[in-house]
Amino acid sequence: MQVRDYLLRRLALLPFIMLGVSVIVFTLTRFTGSPVGIYATPNMTAEEISALEARYLLDQPIPLQYAAWIGGLFRGDLGWSGVSVAPVTDVIGLKFAATFELALAAGFIAVFAGIALGTLAGVRRNRLPDHGARLFSIFGASTPTFWFGLLLLVPFYLWLDWFPLGRSTPEIFSSIAHPTGMYTLDAVLALNAGAFLDAVRHLVLPAVVLAFGAMAIIVRMMRSSMVEAMSEEYVDAARAKGLPNKVVIRRHARRNALLPTTTVIGLSFGFLLQGAVAVELIFRWPGLGQWVTSAVLSGDQATIMAYVLITALIFMTVNLAVDIAYAYLDRRVVLGG
Amino acid sequence: MIRKKSAKSRPRSTLIVAGLASMTLVLAACGGGSTDSGTSSDGGGGGDSTEVRNAGVIVHAENGEPQSLDPARAEQGEKGERIIDNVYERLVDVGREGPDLIPSLATEVPTLENGLVSEDRLTYTFPLREGVVFHDGTDFTADDVVYSWERIITMNLPEGQAAAIVDSVESMRAVDDFTFEVTIVEPDASFLYSVVLNTVASVVSPEAVEANGGIEADTPSEWMDANMVGTGPYVFGEWKRGESLTMIVNQDYWGENAKSDVRWDVTPEESSRVLALRAGDADIIDISPSNVGDVADVDGVTIFEGGLLLEPIHLGFNMLSDDLPASDTIPTDFFVDKRIRQAFSYAFDYDTYINSFLDGYGARYTAYIPQGVFGYDENAPIYEYDLEKAAELMKQTSYWEDGFVVSVLVQAGEPEFEGVGLLMKDGIELLNPKFRVNVVSQAETQFDDNLGADPVPFALWVKNADPGADPHQFFDPHQHPDGDWGSKHGMRDAYEDPDRIADLIDAGKATVDPADRLEIYSELQQLLYEDPMWVYAAQEGLAYPYRSWLEGFTVNPLWRGPHYEYYTKSNG
Repeated sequence: MQVRDYLLRRLALLPFIMLGVSVIVFTLTRFTGSPVGIYATPNMTAEEISALEARYLLDQPIPLQYAAWIGGLFRGDLGWSGVSVAPVTDVIGLKFAATFELALAAGFIAVFAGIALGTLAGVRRNRLPDHGARLFSIFGASTPTFWFGLLLLVPFYLWLDWFPLGRSTPEIFSSIAHPTGMYTLDAVLALNAGAFLDAVRHLVLPAVVLAFGAMAIIVRMMRSSMVEAMSEEYVDAARAKGLPNKVVIRRHARRNALLPTTTVIGLSFGFLLQGAVAVELIFRWPGLGQWVTSAVLSGDQATIMAYVLITALIFMTVNLAVDIAYAYLDRRVVLGG
Repeated sequence: MIRKKSAKSRPRSTLIVAGLASMTLVLAACGGGSTDSGTSSDGGGGGDSTEVRNAGVIVHAENGEPQSLDPARAEQGEKGERIIDNVYERLVDVGREGPDLIPSLATEVPTLENGLVSEDRLTYTFPLREGVVFHDGTDFTADDVVYSWERIITMNLPEGQAAAIVDSVESMRAVDDFTFEVTIVEPDASFLYSVVLNTVASVVSPEAVEANGGIEADTPSEWMDANMVGTGPYVFGEWKRGESLTMIVNQDYWGENAKSDVRWDVTPEESSRVLALRAGDADIIDISPSNVGDVADVDGVTIFEGGLLLEPIHLGFNMLSDDLPASDTIPTDFFVDKRIRQAFSYAFDYDTYINSFLDGYGARYTAYIPQGVFGYDENAPIYEYDLEKAAELMKQTSYWEDGFVVSVLVQAGEPEFEGVGLLMKDGIELLNPKFRVNVVSQAETQFDDNLGADPVPFALWVKNADPGADPHQFFDPHQHPDGDWGSKHGMRDAYEDPDRIADLIDAGKATVDPADRLEIYSELQQLLYEDPMWVYAAQEGLAYPYRSWLEGFTVNPLWRGPHYEYYTKSNG
């Protein structure tokens, strides 16, 4: 099947899957209690609470409430975000941009460092670089991000003052326009080196912390695939025909070892995009993770439902991208077969 | 927003103990009482930042952000009130020190003596300040006060504090451009404090309201939720949700101008707030009592210890629910038996609670007046932790043989509340192996939902009271047999002498003479000790760490948060 046909088929399925997700999300969220709780205070009388329920149609049967919600969704109305004191649609783009920028930076670090370290470990199997890389990845996978973030903040923020908390310096933030909501990109578009540097300074620490966990998985996956690839006969054949070792590793072994790693990268990027709750909280990063944490704690159902929908969309997109990447990396893969 | 609050946060107003002794004089020419709004201790040692950062801007690292900036909608104790306090003004206010009311938009505080309160104590006249300008440039007149208060009555939002005005105001009018008159439904010694000083009574710009959707009955205003046009020392700046909120010095203020702009940095994580304070990026931080030690020794950081919050933590006895959790074996009227309520009061380890769950930042209060509020009787009896007495009382009931299971509802993620439930469980289960207390921890929205239900589907629950400055604000909702909780919990059928309690509480409200009021409240504290409707756990303490380069930092007992206009940030 052609890539284009496959893509079209998958895209055509997307709305149906999303519809299914929306039904499940809506029903499950309602099970956790009435969303009126976000406005209710313990001192309210039953009449006052009924008045609130009537205001938000919560006195209607669940299917009708769902219809109202889904109807709003098609008009671009995802409801009122209690935690943000604004319509969900006004906020979700900003939150997503913040998380997307962070995830992209973290993903970049994780993928490049992970593949490089994993390759090194796989090639130098059972030697010092291998042990080093494995130790590093075990450390990364088992370190709580919360603790690791604080550990980095004390020297790099408190003592050296290299990397600040938050997402931008307020004066610098307001000096340029923010068409994309991704501050590094906005600074590039504004051709403002100072703003770019400021955005990067704020981005480095949370991105490193966030990358750390994902990198550990990539290193391990890459290492084992590399070890397997290096023992394949085609590698011996390549060596036998006199190719330099570098070329054998890069063109032959690594290309094949990348295949299983691609799946892992795709999935971990999906997780990064969800917004790493702990990282966003510690670094005062106003992204999806921080947003949904507040929403869950306060029972802000409109926000929670919007978050789940966007996460579902992210994972479907990422999976699709991984499938397509497979086809390019390995011509034997037949999409939709 | 952790709605908490981020999003809604648990009401944690900055009402703190100080000498509120002259509260009695609300109507009788507020005389000066001794005031001591807190002590400061300077830390020593450490080697953190000493160079002033963010010059000219006071940065307050807050643990959450407002839910609404509309005086009509802001819930009591939520973050919005703190901003409203700085951007909007009311007719009267309290200053840097002391509980005494001072003029704000009014030029005089009404009293019987100055004739601005009528002889029947029903009509209050406020002469208003001339030359005051709203932040949008329009002039302030008496019509604007009428407009602002009528707006509250028309919108009547149950999530806000509309009831304060709706329940007490009979009528109001603008006598002339600069005289406002209000008549209340019955004499009320606490009217100026509970209504006029309340954020709900803030004066908003009618022009701004009308230009942005006007007033709609029973409906919140989206514009006013996120925008503010008042007369206060600060002009509302920009609100980047989930990130920061700014207030700019009002250069056209009628009084003395504020000195520094203000920025709230929304920092939900406490460790990050502590780091920001140490680095000097934050000048003031919110902190839970148990973590004050982390910053006490940092060079350049001062701890403002503001005494006790006026919002006591209590455990309620519900005697009306026929819809208890399935695991509960108690009958609906279990707590109608006074001996059982007394036994529960004896079985709670108050000292351990204060020392471990509040890290020493807390104190006991009487039934039902927190320390620092007029009428608090330090000689009134309080329960001590005494398992023998508790067992003795329980042995007089049939439950000693039969045993029982009861659930206590607490809010998740609030160690101060969960602690009450857990210690109650410990105490009761130590009495008799047949006794069992289940602690049910629920997220805030479910918790509020359950507490809002009538009847509440739990026989026991833990929460803090709404803050108040007058004893009536505590007795009426919590102890009056027909009050909010009185009727919801079924106190009328449980009190030994409900009419006596009701009469005393009503008399306390209507009585003006401080000595007479004291007598009434002393008797109440005695009666309610013998016939307890709550376990009076403790009052929580308050501490604000701030950078020592911030001059003039203080928090008055009656403010809802810092009043930044009084602080100056030095430039190094």
